[in-house]
Amino acid sequence: MSVPTEHLLALAAILFAIGVAGFFTRRNLIVVLMSIELMLNAANLTLVAGARLHSSTGPLQVDGPIFVIFIIAVAAVEAAVGLALVIALYRQKQTVSLDAFARLED
Amino acid sequence: MVDLLFYVAALVAVLTAVGVVLARNPVISVVSLLTCFGSLAVIYLLAGFQFLAAIQILVYGGAIMVLFLFVVMLLNLGGLSPEDEDGDDPLFHDRRRSAGGLAVAVALGSASLIGILRGARHLAEPANGYALPDEGFDALPALAEAMFTRYSLPFEAASVLLLATTVGVMVLAKRQRAVTPAGEKRP
Repeated sequence: MSVPTEHLLALAAILFAIGVAGFFTRRNLIVVLMSIELMLNAANLTLVAGARLHSSTGPLQVDGPIFVIFIIAVAAVEAAVGLALVIALYRQKQTVSLDAFARLED
Repeated sequence: MVDLLFYVAALVAVLTAVGVVLARNPVISVVSLLTCFGSLAVIYLLAGFQFLAAIQILVYGGAIMVLFLFVVMLLNLGGLSPEDEDGDDPLFHDRRRSAGGLAVAVALGSASLIGILRGARHLAEPANGYALPDEGFDALPALAEAMFTRYSLPFEAASVLLLATTVGVMVLAKRQRAVTPAGEKRP
């Protein structure tokens, strides 16, 4: 496809901004975690756009795709730990609303 | 034609991302995010990254989103969340905090958009107009060679990270019994 690189980057910026908005405004802990996944995907799209531009203007470069693979691995780890914490917190308070966990000592 | 498909996929990605943030029901959020990841996989495929599109579907769609859906259904959060006793909106934080978060998001998004659109004219234009190599931009032999030579240390670190996560999540999510068989209280 002949879509210019800046359109891919603009899409990534929009997705990242939506992720930031969800992260700061939602009360539900699970939706907050999903917003983080959205931001990680925006970062992946940026890396893909850069790798495409560099591989088109010069020799094939695989650094971008490799970083994307590592980011996906880290995203899986983050989701697993985050959801385990959600389950542990739910056992304490029977809710996943962030307000209930404003003070973690009680 | 292919370009049009990209813009359709981009539109779907943005709309479903907005749906993730606005949906009242967490199950709808999960399904929207799944659709968003699917359209991102289409974009990777169109851009010439077949392998990344495949692992986007397999890992994000197959593993991570199933994990999210599993937790939403395990905790039985599918219904609409009731209003709490203060009568606050159960979805979003109070108005001041939401406005602050929204302002941060808009500032960040518009700053990066302005930066991208202003900087775009300094980007090197490819001579052959993004012509796709036969095996795509993420040819597996080149990818594997880099992964196991130059990036072998991060690769090993990722394996240690995955092992540590497996053990840590087991410890975190294990149901802690209040009383041991001997009758002593656990700390």
